[in-house]
Order: sequence, then C-alpha cells, then structure tokens
Amino acid sequence: MRTYLRMCKATSALTHGILLLYSVIVAYPMIWLLLASLKSSRDLFENPWGIPVNPQFVNFANAWTKAGIGRYFLNSVFVTAVSMFFILLIGSMAAYALAKLVFPGRGLIHASFTSGMMFPVFLGIVPLFLLLRRLGMWDNYLGLITAYVAYSLSFTIFVLTGFFRQLPSELAEAGLIDGCSEYSVFLRIMLPLAKPGLIAAGIFNFFGIWNEYPLALVIIASENLRTLPLGIANLLMVQHYETDWGALFAGLVMVMLPTLVVYLIFQRHITEGLTAGALKG
Amino acid sequence: MAKVVLKNLTKTFKNVVAVNNVNLEINDKEFLVLVGPSGCGKTTVLRMVAGLEEATEGEIYIGDRLVNDVSPKDRDIAMVFQNYALYPHMSVYDNMAFALKLRKLPKEQIRQRVTEVAELLGLTELLNRKPKQLSGGQRQRVALGRAIVREPKVFLMDEPLSNLDAKLRVQTRAELIKLHRRLGITTIYVTHDQVEAMTMGDRIAVMCDGVIQQVDTPLNVYNRPANKFVAGFIGTPSMNFLDARVTEGADGCIIDAGSFKVRPPQDKTDLLKPYIGKEVIFGIRPEDIFDKELTSIVQPTADNTIRALVDVIEPMGPIVTMYLTCGNHSLVASIDAETKAREGQEIDIVLDMSKSHVFERDTERAVY
Repeated sequence: MRTYLRMCKATSALTHGILLLYSVIVAYPMIWLLLASLKSSRDLFENPWGIPVNPQFVNFANAWTKAGIGRYFLNSVFVTAVSMFFILLIGSMAAYALAKLVFPGRGLIHASFTSGMMFPVFLGIVPLFLLLRRLGMWDNYLGLITAYVAYSLSFTIFVLTGFFRQLPSELAEAGLIDGCSEYSVFLRIMLPLAKPGLIAAGIFNFFGIWNEYPLALVIIASENLRTLPLGIANLLMVQHYETDWGALFAGLVMVMLPTLVVYLIFQRHITEGLTAGALKG
Repeated sequence: MAKVVLKNLTKTFKNVVAVNNVNLEINDKEFLVLVGPSGCGKTTVLRMVAGLEEATEGEIYIGDRLVNDVSPKDRDIAMVFQNYALYPHMSVYDNMAFALKLRKLPKEQIRQRVTEVAELLGLTELLNRKPKQLSGGQRQRVALGRAIVREPKVFLMDEPLSNLDAKLRVQTRAELIKLHRRLGITTIYVTHDQVEAMTMGDRIAVMCDGVIQQVDTPLNVYNRPANKFVAGFIGTPSMNFLDARVTEGADGCIIDAGSFKVRPPQDKTDLLKPYIGKEVIFGIRPEDIFDKELTSIVQPTADNTIRALVDVIEPMGPIVTMYLTCGNHSLVASIDAETKAREGQEIDIVLDMSKSHVFERDTERAVY
C-alpha cells in the first residue's frame, strides 16, 4: 500500500513537472514579447532577456499612429465581427436543421458540410482569387468576409450539430404546443440552450479569423483595407532598413492581446463546447 | 372544454404499423387512460392528438373541429411530458408564463394567472428558481402548472408520474385526480402502469400492438376483460391461464384441465355449450383462489376444489402470494396470510368459479 502511494506521488510529481515545463515553453515567448514591446531598439539588443530598464510606452503610441496599426486593428475588428455574426447565424441555423429536422438528404448535406474541414485553405486560394475577381468581390470586404464565412462554416456546423443533437426534442415539442413556430422554437428555446456551443464555436472562429493571413493577403490589395496580420507583415517589410523593433513588438502585442483576453474570459466554454461536439457529433 | 374523437386512426412508420385503425371517443370532462405495454402505440396516439405526429390515415376531432391539418399550437391542447420538458434557461415563472406571452396576453393578466396556478400547486415559493434547482416532484408540478395555466380544452399527459419515486407517485396520483375533478378538463393520460390506469381513469382504453383491445370503466375491464391480453394485463399478480377442454357433464358443461375438472357457473353454461369438445383457455385471478381451510366466501364443493402442491410462499403482509403446481399446471394464488400451508405441502384450494373466465383458444376472445 505504501509503495503504491509513493508511486502515485512520484507519478503526480512527474506529471506536474512536465506540465510546468510545457507552460513555461508556451508562456515564455509571450512574456518576452510583452517585455520587448516596452524596450527601445537599443535596449533590446543590449539587454534582450532582462526587464526593460526604462519602459517605452511610447512604442504603443508609435505603432498605433505612425505605423498605422490603429487602422488595421479597426479593420480587423470590423472583418472579424461581421464574419462571426454571419458564421454563427448561418452555422447555428444549418446545424439546428441538420440535428433536429428530418428531411431527405440530411446525412449527405451534413457530410458535405463537414468534409469541408478536410481541405486546407491553400488548396482553394488560386481558384478563389479568380472567382472573386470575376464576381467583382476582389479587394473588398464583401469578398474577404464571404470567404471567411464559407471557410468557417464546416467547423461551426460540426460543433453546433453535436450541441443541438444533445438537446432533448421534447423541449422543441413543448415549444410547438405552447405556441411557437419552428422559427421561434429555434430562437427562443434551442438557441439559448446552445449558448456554450455558440461561445465555443465563436471563440475558435475568432482566433482563426483574427489571425488569418493567407486569404487576406490574396483577397485584399488596398492598403487602407488591410487587416492586422497583413499590417504587421507589411510593417516588417517597409521598415526593412530602419526597423523600430519596439513599435513592431508593440504591434504584435496588440494582435495577441484580444485573443488572450477572449480566451481567458471564455476558456471554460471552450472545453465544454469541444467535448459536446466530440462526444455527440 | 371539448370531447375528442378519433376515427380510424392509423400511423405507420416505414413498414411498421404503430397504431392500427383506432376508434375512440373521449367525452367532455372525461379522464381517459390509455394503457398498454411499452411499444403498444399509446404514446403515438397521444402525439397524433397533440399534432406532433401526422396521422397516416384517419381523423382527429377536438370539439367539433377536424384538426388533422391544424398545427399543435392551434389545437388548444396542453401536454405534460414524461421528462417534463421544462425550459432549462427559464425560471419557473417564465416556464409557466411562456405560452401566455406567446399569445400576447396583457402582462397583468399573465401575472395573475401564473400566480393563481402556482398557489393551486404550491409553487409560489419556487417561482424564481430554475428547473435544475427543483426536485423531481417539484418539476412535475411545474410541468403540470405550465399546462394548467393555458386553460386548454384538452390535457394530454404522457406517463407524467413515471420519473417519480413510489411514494411521491401515489401522492401525486391522488393530487391529479383531485385537480381533474376541480378543473373538469378533458384529459387523455398515457401510462404503462395498470395501477395508475385503474385508480385514475373514468374509463380506460387498453392497447396492444397498435390496436385498442377494450375501452370501458376500470371495474368492467377488470371484471369482464374482452380478451386474454386484457385479462392478463390488468391485475397484479396477473390472471392464471390454463389450457383446458370443455366437455359435456351430467347437467351442463365441465371445464377439464386434465389434472382437475371444474364446473362453470350456471348462468354461463349456455355460453360454453358451443365449445363442447373444443380446446379453450381457462382463466382465474389469484385473488379468486382460496385456501379451503379459511374460505368463508366460497362454498367448497367437488366442482370448484382442487388439490395443489405449494412450491413457494411469498409473504406480502395481509396476504401471501402462493405459487402452486397442479398436475402439469402452475398457478399463482393470493391467499389470506392466516393460512397454515407450508412450502412442499399439498393443500386443497377453492376457485371462485363465479369470477372465472374462459377464452377461445385460437382468437383469445373472451367467451365469458
């Protein structure tokens, strides 16, 4: 018994050790980035690992105004918000129909939606570019948002179908008897109950779209329409010979911060959402 | 208030006939219990009345209105589900008020109706709670409250007591009966529990394999079952069925089960005559079998007394359930606990032949 307990303790210590090491590996670059964003370029080279000697908050101001990160940031907020609105709207409706309504071809439609997850975005980039140009949707947000919505629907529908499936059908039936139409059953009863799923799908889409680079690079050409990842990459390129490293890192912190905040607020729902999708989907 | 009429109602799922040509008339203010084993189609009938399933054939009338093509919300019915189906994200108050809000009733009126019903069901203290904060019994009452508050023409209840523990079930059963008497709303109640059916229904409809076997008052169903299925389904322990042959005796008929012979009651002899020489099924309920030493109800004679071996005795308090063997037949008897019989002993038992039953062998229809 004693040996057993000792073994348990040893295993637990080992597991905790590994997890701690992993946390350090993940967290350290972020902390380094945060510290670097407060250093002057000179300080950065002289003291790359230490605490900033004289914190340069001006880096953030420079990044926001001089490097134009402010506009890119707002562009990203707009594109991400509008995309997410449509992804969740269309995704939840489609997932509800696929999970709860019985109609011919349901399995086929579900399979074709979810099979979209198997195609990497790079595969479609050239035809997408040609298609959007022909439709007059190139170099504008209509094209970019449409591409984001279409690309994200597979995953969203996959997660939400699992969620809706596990909601008892009696709730919908009780709603129908109480006086709801199919639409109001969805809006008033099922959608509020699928909130954890919506949040999980929302967060993952947020991460994906906020950080998305290749599609934005191909679809957006005008400078004033650039999203944050494009802006940062551009910043690096135009500054090639006179790089203001502090401002660049400050820009990166601005890219990272919203995702971090969103994750911290909703992290509980992410696990809930994914397990529901995984087990019941 | 309204009566409900089902005419030639049939429901098929792919190739399976779930409900087969059901004809039923439920009177205004009546409490009708649909009872039957799992999978007999009783819930499907209820769901068709609710509009949650479409009838494959036949007509459903609520009041005088044909409602086959009317959506559930416009049928003026309320349903209590087996698992209550309370909206988890709404408080008790909102659950009860939901249907009224959808009907756009004035706020004050909604509040008044919900408060009244909550008071009736003892839910006043719980109005602000969410369903997950309630016990099973409380949830059941909220589900009931949600139905009552609508003041519908018809209540549909789908095994509403089956998720409650035994004690609470008995208590709620009585409350439901009281409530029905007070509100007088036509009710269709589905259950597989024959005790609920017997105690609650004004009439009960026994279903099997999608077909209604018998519709009558509980006592009539118990005393005069239409066929072997109904006879076996209603009553606990269930009726004993023994293969027998009708033979001609000196003054009438004899039921010959091989290991024993009994004489049917005088008034049934004429009914049995056409079956002389034929195989039948003889039925007797456990509570109509007596220990010869104790009986004062039935006079023991050579025509109703048989000798049987006691296999097992299960004490139940006032009575014992006795498992007996008589020749190649097995019998169950509910005997007065005063009996001196012991396991392994042979005793004389007396059958109350006035309460015996005979069924046709091939159709299983009751002869009497």
